[in-house]
Amino acid sequence: MTSPPRSLPPEAEIRSIIGHQFPGGPYTVAHWENFLLTECTGAELLPDGMVHPVVLFHMPILGSRTTIGEMFALGQAESDYSIGIESYDWEMFEPLREQVPYAVSGKVVAADRMTPSDGRIYDRIQFQFEVAQPDGVRAARTTITWHYNRGARS
Amino acid sequence: MRVEIGDEIPGWLMESVRPERMRTMAAILRDPNPVHWDRDACDAIGFGKRTINQGPLGLSYMVNMLHAWAGPGCITRLVMTFPKVVLDGDRITARGEVTGKRDDNGRRYAECRIWLDRGPDDHPLQGTATVRLPD
Repeated sequence: MTSPPRSLPPEAEIRSIIGHQFPGGPYTVAHWENFLLTECTGAELLPDGMVHPVVLFHMPILGSRTTIGEMFALGQAESDYSIGIESYDWEMFEPLREQVPYAVSGKVVAADRMTPSDGRIYDRIQFQFEVAQPDGVRAARTTITWHYNRGARS
Repeated sequence: MRVEIGDEIPGWLMESVRPERMRTMAAILRDPNPVHWDRDACDAIGFGKRTINQGPLGLSYMVNMLHAWAGPGCITRLVMTFPKVVLDGDRITARGEVTGKRDDNGRRYAECRIWLDRGPDDHPLQGTATVRLPD
């Protein structure tokens, strides 16, 4: 016998976000942004205006005109603390460079209720983002897979 | 650059994960989660008064290791999992080893297993990387 946690959203509501597309738009990495990002990693700036690949977490999110907070809300996260990372998958087809207006798009590609044998309940939600150069050539694709933890079956 | 399966990638050391870098990162990411900038919030959920490093920052240490090994722009794919958190003050070494190699359209690639090392059997981030090797 299991009883769902009080905050458990209906599974159909979670599944209904599959295909949700963010507005998308341009994103240009400014020099100051790359400078600060790179400093946070402990590395020196890369040559020739190359952007540190760590940008591939937030650039697709902000470029597609969403936020981490909105992504949490879309999956009805119980709190900021309830999110767990399953994986980040970053594919880099071309090095990203400062001052280039990349075109960014993003959508929800998977949303499933998971009930593993350890008694937990979580929703596994996967977001995919595409980053293209101004000439349309694909520069990067990222896939974020998060767990929206719902507590334990009782 | 000569690469063989089983080769160890030279490690990249982050002597001490610094909380001020997490705060800068939180602002750049527009990440509202207080676990990255509020030690009291971390204490309240059982991590003690140490903030939690953003996942992408931990991942970036492995990027830095791979760049130092095969050059800037060498990475074509990273797949990363996050079994444990990295905390401010941690001493972390990014490590890796070559698990495969292939040629594609005249370019050489290495498949690598990569991880962060905090101590014996303590690997908070683990993943794989595909690296384009220099000619």
